[in-house]
Amino acid sequence: MGLSRREFLKRTAALTAASYVGMNLPVSLEGEAQAADADSWHPGTCRLCGSGCRLELGVKNGQAVALRGISKSRTNFGYLCMKGMLFYKLMGQNHPERLKKPLYRAKKDQPFKEISWDEALDIAAKEFAKAVKAHGNNSVAYYGSGQALTEETYIFQKIMRGGLQTNNVEGNPRLCMASAVGGYLTSFGADEPIGSYDNFERASCFFIIGSNTAEAHPVLFRRIMRRKMDNRDRVKVINADPRISPTSRISDLDLVFEPGTDLAMLNAMAYVIIEEKLYDEDFLKNYSVFRKGKDKKQVSFEEYKKFLSAYTPEKAAQICGGNITAEKIRTAARWFATSEGTMSIWTMGINQRSRGVWANNLIHNLHILTGQLCRPGADSFSLTGQPNACGGVREGGGLCHILPAHRLVKKDKLRHQVEKLWGIPQGRIPPKPGYHTMAMFEAVNQGKIKAIWINCTSPAQSLPNCDKYIKGMARDDVFMVVTDIFPTRTTELANLIMPTAFIFEKTGVYGCTERRSQLTRKAVDAPGDARPEVWIVREWALRLSKELNDPVIKKCVEPFMGKEPDYELPKAIWDEYTQKLTKDRDNDLRGATYEVLEQLPDGVQWPAPTKEFALKGGTDIKFVRGIDPLADKHAKNEMPYQFYGPAHPDKKLWIWLRPQKGPQEMPDAHYPFYLSTGRVIDHWHTSSMTGRIPELMRANPYAFVEINPKDAEKMGIKPGDMVEVTSRRGRNILPAKVYVGPCEGMVFVYWHDMYSDRMINRVTNDVWDPGSKEPEFKICACRIKKVSGPKPLKPFIVQMKS
Amino acid sequence: MAENRFTRRALLKAIAAGAAVAVMGPAPGRALSSPVTTNILRPPGAVPEEIFPAKCIRCGRCVEVCPYGSIRPPDVRDGIFAGTPLIDVTKIPCYLCMKCVEVCPTGTLSRISQKETRMGLAVIDKHSCVTWNQELALCRTCYNVCPFKEKAIKLDQLRPVVIEDFCTGCGICTHGCPITVKSGRKAINIQPIYAFKPVKW
Repeated sequence: MGLSRREFLKRTAALTAASYVGMNLPVSLEGEAQAADADSWHPGTCRLCGSGCRLELGVKNGQAVALRGISKSRTNFGYLCMKGMLFYKLMGQNHPERLKKPLYRAKKDQPFKEISWDEALDIAAKEFAKAVKAHGNNSVAYYGSGQALTEETYIFQKIMRGGLQTNNVEGNPRLCMASAVGGYLTSFGADEPIGSYDNFERASCFFIIGSNTAEAHPVLFRRIMRRKMDNRDRVKVINADPRISPTSRISDLDLVFEPGTDLAMLNAMAYVIIEEKLYDEDFLKNYSVFRKGKDKKQVSFEEYKKFLSAYTPEKAAQICGGNITAEKIRTAARWFATSEGTMSIWTMGINQRSRGVWANNLIHNLHILTGQLCRPGADSFSLTGQPNACGGVREGGGLCHILPAHRLVKKDKLRHQVEKLWGIPQGRIPPKPGYHTMAMFEAVNQGKIKAIWINCTSPAQSLPNCDKYIKGMARDDVFMVVTDIFPTRTTELANLIMPTAFIFEKTGVYGCTERRSQLTRKAVDAPGDARPEVWIVREWALRLSKELNDPVIKKCVEPFMGKEPDYELPKAIWDEYTQKLTKDRDNDLRGATYEVLEQLPDGVQWPAPTKEFALKGGTDIKFVRGIDPLADKHAKNEMPYQFYGPAHPDKKLWIWLRPQKGPQEMPDAHYPFYLSTGRVIDHWHTSSMTGRIPELMRANPYAFVEINPKDAEKMGIKPGDMVEVTSRRGRNILPAKVYVGPCEGMVFVYWHDMYSDRMINRVTNDVWDPGSKEPEFKICACRIKKVSGPKPLKPFIVQMKS
Repeated sequence: MAENRFTRRALLKAIAAGAAVAVMGPAPGRALSSPVTTNILRPPGAVPEEIFPAKCIRCGRCVEVCPYGSIRPPDVRDGIFAGTPLIDVTKIPCYLCMKCVEVCPTGTLSRISQKETRMGLAVIDKHSCVTWNQELALCRTCYNVCPFKEKAIKLDQLRPVVIEDFCTGCGICTHGCPITVKSGRKAINIQPIYAFKPVKW
C-alpha cells in the first residue's frame, strides 16, 4: 500500500492527537494471560467449519481456559479464526446454558421434566420398539450430523441398519455437500477430492465459484491470499459469484452472473478451451470419455463440440447477465487452461442447487479437458462446511444410500460384505435405500415416521421452508429424541432431550475436506450428567434388544461391551470401522489407528493401508502412481495415473454433457427478486454455539438482508430500515444493509439467526436436486418491502423453558 | 427496548434535578471539563466541545429520535455538560441514520451526510488487536461490520488498517470488537480528535 508523505504526516498527526486524549498503549490481553496460565495443553481439532484446523486446548484446574493453533499442522500452520479461538467458552463448566440432565415430556405442549439416564434410555428404547412393532421397521429414523464424530455416526448407523433393519439413516450433509458427492462419483468415479490443501501453495490460478471462502473458511483463505500476495503477477484469482463478497478482494477477475446461470458460463468456458485448442489432448485420450444422459451413453468428442456450440461466450454472456461479457469468459477460460496449475474451489453456491450435481460435473469437465488434475497445484476441490461431513458421514455411511467405506446399499455384494463383517445374518440390512433428508421430514409430516432420533443438528432451523417441516416435528404422534449440548429450535420440538459431551469432553476422530482424519482426546469433563453419544447408543441398543426380543441388536454392540466410554469405547469402534470396514476400500484407513493419530501433529490422509505409510502422513494426491499406494495396487497398465474409483468400471474420468438449467423458482412479477443465503465469519450455521459466545454475538448480533444500492433506491429502502422479505412459503422482517454485495435483482440474507422473524429458512425453497437430493437453498424468488424505519433489535438465542 | 429509551420527559426531570444538585456543587474539575473522551462521543455533526455546552439547549430531541437508543445524556455529575447528548460506542454505537442532525433546532448538530460525519477516528491498538499482536489469529470483525468497508477500514494482508479520510467514527467497529482489555477499552477505539479543534471566533 503506497503512502504519500502528506498522508503519512496527516496520519501521524491523528495518532498524536489520539495519544493526547488518552489512548491506552501496551496492555496485556486477558486471553494471553490465560494462555500462559494453563496447566496443560491438549491437541485436537476445531469443532466448527470443515477446514480441520488443529489446535490445542489449555486446561487449568480441570477447566478449559484457552485455545491456540498448532503451528506444525499442515492444515492451518497455527492460524485460527476468532470462532476457533473462542469456542473453549462452551466447554465443561464454562457455559451456564449447557444441557446437563436428560429431559422428558410425554406431550409436546408440556414442560420438560428432569429424569435419570436409566429412565431416558428406557423411554427411548420403548418408543422406538413400539414404533417398530406397530408400524414396521421403516417407521423409525436417525437424522445425524456432519459434526458428530466418526465413531458416533458409525455406531448409530450400525444399530439402525443392522439392528433395527432400516436404512432411514440420514444427516445434515445431505443439505450441504450431497451434490459434491454426486459430482465426484459421476465425474471421477470416487468420492472426495483428489488433492490436498498443499495445492494452495502451488496453484497458479484459483477458480473460486459459489464460495465466500474469506468468511466461510477464513484460515484456508489466508493460504490462498498468501499465495496471491507473494506472486501478484504469476497467480491469477477468478471469483465467480452473483454476489461480491470479501473473497473478491483478492480477485483479478470477478464474474458476477445472475443466480442459476453458471452452468451456461461453465459450458462457455469449455467452449473457449476447445475453440482455442487449449485442451490437453494426451490427457483426454488416455484418461477420459464423454457421456450424456441418464443412461450414461458414451458419445464422441465431436458430439461434445456440437453440444457446446449452444454455449458460445456471446450466447452465454446473454444468459448470464450481471457483468458477464464474452471477453470475460474467454479470459477466465484462458487463465484456467494455460496456468501451471489451476485449482477450483467451491462450496454451497454450487452444491445447494436443483442442478447441483450438474454444476459440479461442469467444473470437473474443465479440469479433465485441460488436464488440470493430479499435478502440483491442479485440483478440482470442493470445500466442506462441517468438520466431519467427509470423515463421518460420507465415509462412515451416514446417508440413506451408503454403507461404511463408500459402499452402496443397493449393491448386494457390498451389503453382504458389511453384514458379514458385522457378524449379523445375511439379509439383515434392507436392500432398498431409506428416505433421503427431505423425504424423511416429509414422511414425518405425513406421520409415516413415528420415532426419530436427531443428533447434533437443528433441522427446525436448517431445513429449507422449515415452517412446513416444523409442523411435522411438532406432531404428538411423532416421538422425537434430540441429543445435543444446547437448547435449539429443534429441542423445542422434542419429547426427550439427552445432554451430550462436547468436543474435548469425549474422544473421537474428525475427517476434514482433504481426506484427513484427526483425533481429539478428552481433556475436560462434560458438565452435569452429559455423556458421550457412543455410550448413549450402546446402552440404548442393549435395551432395544430386550424390548424387541432381538439378539442381533445386542450382537451389533457386543464388541464394545464393558469398554470405558471416554477412550476405550470410541477406540474399539474406530478399530472395527477402520480395520474391518475400510479394508481394501478406496478410503483404506487401516494405518490410521489411534496410536498413529496421536503421534502426528495433523493426522493422516487416506488411503493409508499400513501404519508405516500412515506415519508419513498418508496420501496427498490420489490416483498417482508412486504417491497413492492404491494406484500402484490397482494399476492395469503403465500409465502414471490410475483412476481406480469404484463407481467407474472403465476406470476413466467422465466428461458430461450437461445443459444450462435455471433454478426451479424464477423471479416473476409477484416475486421479482432472487433470494440467496449464506454465512458470516462470526457465526457458524444455526449459531447455537457461536451465538452463545458473547464476543461473537456482539460482532454480529442479528441477521440482515443485503440489498444492492440500485434496488434499494428503487424501493425507497435506506440502510437500517426494516424490510420484509416474502416468498411463496414464508416471510422474514430484517434490517437492511445497502451495499454492493449482491448483484442487481438479488437479495442476500444470513441464515444463522434463531429469532423467528429472522430465520430465513422459513422463506427458502424446499425443492431438491433429483440426483443428489440436496435442496435448493441458494436460489428462490422473493419480494421485498420496507415496513418501517430503523428499529433497535435484540440478539436472540433459544433458552430452555423450565 | 422501550424501557431503555430515554424520553424527553425523563430528560427534563434529570436536568431539573441537576440544577438542584448544581447549587450544592458537583466536583469542580468535572463540572467544567468535557465528558467527551475515548469511545464517549458526540452525535454526528456536533460543533467543537469548546462551544458545545453553550450552543446545546438540552432539548433532548436527538435523544428521543435516535431509533437505536445510542444517544444518552450525562447526568448532573457532569456539571455544565448535563443533558447534552453523548454516545458511548462500547454500549450502543451510532448507526448513522442521521435522524438526530435533522431534528436539532440549534445547529449544535449540523445537517451533514453519513459520509461527512466525523465523530472521531478509529484507532487500532496494535498491542491488543489479536490480528496485529498474535501472528496466528485471524479476526476481521471491525472490517466486516464497518459501514464503509473497504474505504474506512481496509485489510492489508488480512490485518485491519483504518483510513482516516473515510472513517466517520461511528464506533460500530469498537462495539463489535471481540477483544476487551482490562481498562474496558477495545482493540479498536474511537478517539474524538475532531471534538477539540479550536474554534475560530
